[in-house]
Amino acid sequence: MDKYDVIIGLEIHVQTKTNSKMFCTCNSNYFKDEPNTHVCPVCFGLPGALPVPNKRAIEKCILLGLATNCDIDNEIHFDRKHYFYPDLPKGYQISQYGRPICSDGYVMVNGDTKIEIERIHQEEDVAKSTHHKEGGLDYSLIDYNKSGVALIEIVTKPCIRSAHHAKEYATKIRQICRYLDISDADMEKGQMRCEPNISLQEKGKWKQEGSRILPIGDYKLNSKVEVKNIGSITAVEKSIEYEIERIIEELEKGNTIEQQTRGWNADKNITEFQRSKETADDYRYMPEPDIPVIDISEKDVERISKELVELPDDKAKRYLETFELSEYDIGVLTAKKEISEYFEKVVELLSKNITDIKEAAKLSSNWITGTLFSISNEMGLEISEENIQIEDLVALIKEFKEKTITKNKAEELLKKALEEKKDLGNLLDDFKKTKEESSGNLEDTVTAVLDENKQAVEDFKNGKQASLGFLIGQTMQKTKGSANPNDVKNILLKKLNE
Amino acid sequence: MSKMDLKHVAELSRIKLSKEELEKFTPQMEQILESVKVLTEVDTKGVEPMKNHLPFSELREDIAENGMSKEDVLSNVKHIENGKVKVYGKVFGGIEES
Repeated sequence: MDKYDVIIGLEIHVQTKTNSKMFCTCNSNYFKDEPNTHVCPVCFGLPGALPVPNKRAIEKCILLGLATNCDIDNEIHFDRKHYFYPDLPKGYQISQYGRPICSDGYVMVNGDTKIEIERIHQEEDVAKSTHHKEGGLDYSLIDYNKSGVALIEIVTKPCIRSAHHAKEYATKIRQICRYLDISDADMEKGQMRCEPNISLQEKGKWKQEGSRILPIGDYKLNSKVEVKNIGSITAVEKSIEYEIERIIEELEKGNTIEQQTRGWNADKNITEFQRSKETADDYRYMPEPDIPVIDISEKDVERISKELVELPDDKAKRYLETFELSEYDIGVLTAKKEISEYFEKVVELLSKNITDIKEAAKLSSNWITGTLFSISNEMGLEISEENIQIEDLVALIKEFKEKTITKNKAEELLKKALEEKKDLGNLLDDFKKTKEESSGNLEDTVTAVLDENKQAVEDFKNGKQASLGFLIGQTMQKTKGSANPNDVKNILLKKLNE
Repeated sequence: MSKMDLKHVAELSRIKLSKEELEKFTPQMEQILESVKVLTEVDTKGVEPMKNHLPFSELREDIAENGMSKEDVLSNVKHIENGKVKVYGKVFGGIEES
């Protein structure tokens, strides 16, 4: 490993969340729908059909460019990328070649590592094909629902130097897409696809110039390997790690690396050879004659930029400065926009009672990332205002802070609210009512418990400390858990020592 | 244009050409290219490419409509399986291009 540098470039495709497809009015939400029911002459590639670009899709592409510090072109040019394949009925994909809408951007990962984005362009998705065999005969089944759905391609420079950074970068892109509602970017549903290309070069024998890797002196560069079929963010890291190991092994054996495409096999955790790429792809790009050049004014870009919201990095910075939360907590709270919004609402309301904003934030963070998440993760559901209302959670945290409810009891109520889909506010009211009713006669309850458990009392007086715990338990049971165990303990000790 | 070039272009379009056809078509293609070449002799220095421009605001609004019926979509399809178009032959290694 000390001998080689790892050079990774990442291509990410993201399906834009729009109502209609990129160049026609077919409904682009096809998930789980019957095959070939979202098809029209345009996306089915019938002769004579004319593509008409979707304004909203392009807005979202520009929005992603703005969020990743790209330059936005003032003209949009579409091109045809030709290749023959059954999932592409026209025989070409409408894409962008010479002038992508967005270029020269970057995002930061791991705090201080800059991942440079070469370009972000708009294109259309292809049909879904599955491959089968029948009596020795190969065939494919094609569903054209996906054909023509708006697709954004994001290409980095070959500037990623580790599998971990590739994963962090993919996570960041997914996060930005979700924050800005550009895409749901669910990799399992194919809404986001990552294709890394990886090469290993000997240290000191290559240099990067823009988006190109060049040899120094008479060094011969090793070919790059492209990995496809990556179905999750974790697989981005795992597949690259695997590929690095494999390439090192080959190089150490003295073998040359053939330029090739490999597929990630998630069951076996390996990459498998798919095809060699001896010749450069020949897509015969040409300007798309059916779509005029689209002019974008500064005003258009300004209007679109109003949709930018506070992005994860900025949010994390603010949380650190205003709330002084731990890096870990901040990471969890900003991972999803919905969670961060929920958290901020809780803090805002709680800070009406707890004036120290840092304390309010710390308490809110503890309850949300700790208790609430561990319960919701176990149940596989998302925390939202629909299942736990802000004011109810704040009331619960307040009770806890004032020590009028124990942590255990509070957790029990939260669990009950989520599991049994009950209103936390009502549960808390019930708890307080029971507590009020019983608090007046907590002494009476303790007396009753002592009367009923003469043996335990005897044992305690003979020095058996464990009996105290038993008596506390009995009293708690009688008060249905509403009493404060500390109060119970004090009263018990007082009475036992009388 | 060499025979190799023609073969390459044909392969890209999934067209099979026999040896005889290659012999026959290569000079024909050369002739066509020669004729078209005249265009490259025109001095286009300083001439903007002629393309229509459209302001961004005039693009199509994102409203979904119903497409064709499934029956219409599949009416010209030779082989159908489970509502999907069935295509025989091996396509390279199960890779989805996009």
